[in-house]
Amino acid sequence: MTGGLVLVTVWIVLAALAPVIAPYNPLAQNVNDRLQPPSQEHIFGTDELGRDLYSRVLYGGRITIPAGLLVVIFGGVLGVAVGSVAGYLGGLADEGLMRLSELFMAFPTIILAMAVTAALGPDIKNAIIALVVVWWPAYARLVRGQVLKVKNQEFVEAAHCVGASRIRILVRTVLPNTLSPIFVMLAVDVGAAILTFAGLSFLGLGPDPTSPEWGRMVSVGVDYFDQWWTWLFAGMAIALMVIAFNFIGDGIRDVNDPRLR
Amino acid sequence: MPLHLYILRRVVFVIPVLLGITLMAFLIANAVPADPINANLSQRAMSDPEIVAAFRREWGLDKTLPEQYVTYIANLLQGNLGRSIKSRQLISDDIARFMPATIELATYGILVGVTLGITTGMISAIWRNTWMDATARTISLIGVSVPVFVLALIGLYVLHVKLGLTAGPGRLDFTMTPPPTVTGMYTIDALLAGQWNVFTNALSHLVLPSLVLGLFIAGIISRVTRSSMLEVLGMDYLRTARAKGLAERTVVIRHAFRNATIPIVTVIGLSYGSLLSGAVLTESIFAWPGIGRYMYRASTSQDFPAIMGVSLLFAFIFVMVNLVVDILYYFLDPRIRQS
Amino acid sequence: MKVSRLAILLLVLALLVVGAAQAQDEKVLVVGHAEATDSLDPARGYNQTTSLIHQTIYEALVTFPEDSAAEILPGLASDWAISDDGLTYTFNLNPAAVFASGAPVTAEDVAFSFNRMINVQGQPSSLASTVASVAAVDGQVVITLTQPDPSLLAKLAGPGFQVTEAALVQANGGTDAADAATTDAGEAWLNGHSAGSGRYMLDSWEPQVQTVLVRNPNYYGAEPGYYDRIIIVNMPEAATQKAALESGEIDMALDVTADQVPSLQSADGITVYQGSGNIIHFLLMNANPDVGGPMSDPNVQQAVRLALDYPGYVSLFGGVNPASIIPAGFLTAYGPDRALTRDLDAARALLAEAGYADGFEVTLNYPVFTFQGVNMETNAQKVAADLAEIGITVNLNPGEIQVALESYRNGLDQFSYWFWGPDFIDPLNYVEFLPGMKVGGTRAQWTDERADETILSLRDQALVESDPAARTAVFEAIQDYMQQNGPFAPFLQPGVQVAYASDIENYFWHPQWTVDLSILSSAE
Repeated sequence: MTGGLVLVTVWIVLAALAPVIAPYNPLAQNVNDRLQPPSQEHIFGTDELGRDLYSRVLYGGRITIPAGLLVVIFGGVLGVAVGSVAGYLGGLADEGLMRLSELFMAFPTIILAMAVTAALGPDIKNAIIALVVVWWPAYARLVRGQVLKVKNQEFVEAAHCVGASRIRILVRTVLPNTLSPIFVMLAVDVGAAILTFAGLSFLGLGPDPTSPEWGRMVSVGVDYFDQWWTWLFAGMAIALMVIAFNFIGDGIRDVNDPRLR
Repeated sequence: MPLHLYILRRVVFVIPVLLGITLMAFLIANAVPADPINANLSQRAMSDPEIVAAFRREWGLDKTLPEQYVTYIANLLQGNLGRSIKSRQLISDDIARFMPATIELATYGILVGVTLGITTGMISAIWRNTWMDATARTISLIGVSVPVFVLALIGLYVLHVKLGLTAGPGRLDFTMTPPPTVTGMYTIDALLAGQWNVFTNALSHLVLPSLVLGLFIAGIISRVTRSSMLEVLGMDYLRTARAKGLAERTVVIRHAFRNATIPIVTVIGLSYGSLLSGAVLTESIFAWPGIGRYMYRASTSQDFPAIMGVSLLFAFIFVMVNLVVDILYYFLDPRIRQS
Repeated sequence: MKVSRLAILLLVLALLVVGAAQAQDEKVLVVGHAEATDSLDPARGYNQTTSLIHQTIYEALVTFPEDSAAEILPGLASDWAISDDGLTYTFNLNPAAVFASGAPVTAEDVAFSFNRMINVQGQPSSLASTVASVAAVDGQVVITLTQPDPSLLAKLAGPGFQVTEAALVQANGGTDAADAATTDAGEAWLNGHSAGSGRYMLDSWEPQVQTVLVRNPNYYGAEPGYYDRIIIVNMPEAATQKAALESGEIDMALDVTADQVPSLQSADGITVYQGSGNIIHFLLMNANPDVGGPMSDPNVQQAVRLALDYPGYVSLFGGVNPASIIPAGFLTAYGPDRALTRDLDAARALLAEAGYADGFEVTLNYPVFTFQGVNMETNAQKVAADLAEIGITVNLNPGEIQVALESYRNGLDQFSYWFWGPDFIDPLNYVEFLPGMKVGGTRAQWTDERADETILSLRDQALVESDPAARTAVFEAIQDYMQQNGPFAPFLQPGVQVAYASDIENYFWHPQWTVDLSILSSAE
């Protein structure tokens, strides 16, 4: 957990300071210096247009970290809204919303995301939208369960008796009591969101090829398979980032579930 | 509840979900502004209104959306998924052609994943907080964290290109003739036909992709195995069993593992379902002519009948896997039988 | 007696052994190729992949030499006559010619094939735009034209004019009726079978996976196919092709890149062919202001032409910078020494003159495609970087090739990047880039109204002029004009690199069908 925190912090700092640290402009091409193996000038080598891969990997974090966080946050917010409404209202609304979430869960993540980007067109924004569409149902179901648990407890009944409105009760009393498992899930999910985002952009369904996005860099590198540095460093960046977030996620989960320690 | 009633209830429950899935697939497919006319008729044909009208009639594009949906469902009930705009083949034929390759890969992948995942999960639960636990957990963390396409590339580069230990992309060497089709799965068909060299060749092509998929699945299974084993190992009745003086091995295998199986079975089922449909990335790197690659091609070329057909298939697989898992619960969880 | 019985037994055994050995010794050629077609029907398929495959399974009335398009040779037709007004062509067929089924090739088969291709109205039908009618008359094929066409024979040797066996195609849904565009149903069958007279037959085609050809046992010519099977495997990535060739999985890699040549040349047992290709990579800037916006401004168009870092594209992919849309090496074409050179100051001045001193933003459409080792995505990124230097911000909009083609063919691309391979090997083909023609008029919306008198009159002369000296003068004037005007910026004529196992014999690169796989053999 501490290791994970350190690793994530390092990544965020590197990404934030990329304009300062990066030795080159990540978009600057130099065709005379293309496909150079790692060396003193280019420690990760250069790509097919002579761009410095070290600089591109550093800048890549500026796309991938926010993308992963945005997916989880928007997916989480949407899911919490749907789930708490369903759980609190119960009855038909509950039934309808839960069936809807089941439908979304029935489609495999990457397939649904592919269908959505096919409809919207490929770019970063649409890839994030596609993933939010895929992400919310799990949260909705979790929150609904939590709300149901809390709903009938005494303090909610009490609030009801003093005449608080439904929404007020939901927002003020029920939701805060369901938050801890949601935060655990959010933490555990960031890694998976980054992984899926990278997968989509590896398939060409994310940002355009000039963008130093890691998944995209790997897919361009595949064309230059022999020049291993063109795909390896970007690939390792995704892996290390996901490992870091998963470390934190695991830690948070363990803390909340003492049996697993 | 008796078994047949339980199954019936689950099956009835599945129908509205399936119907909803068709509607959703239909809506996604129609949310696109692109006109399939442009992608599918030549320029000269397009300037002929008669040809354009005939094309719209043929694909039902001249009707309103609700009408199109009703037609679609009616065709679906007769097992007709429609025709791919791109390949001009029946989508059901396309699926029959590409699905066996995916099933074969997914099956080998899940075998690797289950073996590796349960072993490491058990090890880390039993020897909790030792170096073995740490090692097993690290392996599973890597399994779930390293993108499959990166793992696949590293595997190809090191094991195939540099060391020459495994075969490269594709299902067979190009010079090999596939075995006569029975199941469409090369390893099985080759054995049925007695073609030993084809069998070993197909197997050598399966090693790398199934290892890559397996490692990812193993990561998930290992984590679930560990946590559910820990949960069970801490319970009272196991303390009782130990107090009765039963050997630790008996306690772990006879009592603990059996009671930890429910979440493990669930995750294996879901993983298999996701491999059957989600191996898009692996298939694209290993040039594996499976359904994932077919779906990828359909989605980049806006072949919406095909996208719908395959989405439906995948959703159907998901629902069926859940059904099977539910039925397995019936046997594993005495509480369901008694309720 | 006993001895002879033993001898017979031994002989039988020996035959069995030899037979078994032969069965295992099947001769197979495996070719790696980036597949780019959605149809193998001669009336519909129309690109380099179909030309490559059709050359092995079909024959045409006339053909080219194995290594060039420099002259027209007899094919299924043994000889022909052209009327004095240039409007009627009469062909006598080779009486020995038979289809793979064994049936003779008749004038009726030829008329059926051509009429079906014309009436189906697929892509190849545009090559028959000057054809008024095709008929079988007394065992001869008679083609009449609406206007003289100096390039007709060259067209007959190319795509669309393959001769199919009428009875077989009709039995499987094909028709040559006037309404064939809606009633012809022969494509599905022709995608999995062939009905031709070539050295090989189509055994199967799995789109995006592989095409399998088998030897035609009934081939009537002197030299039948050498291989039992030819497998053309779809390998979109050059890196995959190279690795597969080096490991011996494939025998020939058609789409290797200039980058890979040094390492392939140093490999044992691999031969590399390098030549100048005839594909032109170009940018299209829509001439219609409603579609093109700033790109329709002639000053912007010239600024783009002056802003490209031409040698940079050559260092990426080899080859040369063409002087215009006509490939270097073609009759009348300028050499690479006449290519434009980069002049950023002049480009910026032109932009300022057009009122875009601060630049503007534009979207570049292009297909995600690697053709003959040239990855278009790489070039598109370089175009964006080049134009950024004069203040034009280029947003990239990659598309799957069939999808991207639709807005291109409909003239709806504001700014796009495409390549052009000749339909037939004559500078006349490049008239298509002029106003009112297929690429210039339809795709770039450079209509007659938007063009000036100079280019319109040059176009009209080019279409009919047949005197060699006068032709050269006209085409040179066109090239001079296009260097300063027009909606196109041609920037690269990549070299072609083909690598193959050194034991393959009789390899020739061909400008029309890339390579005639059916004449290859292996040293034994």
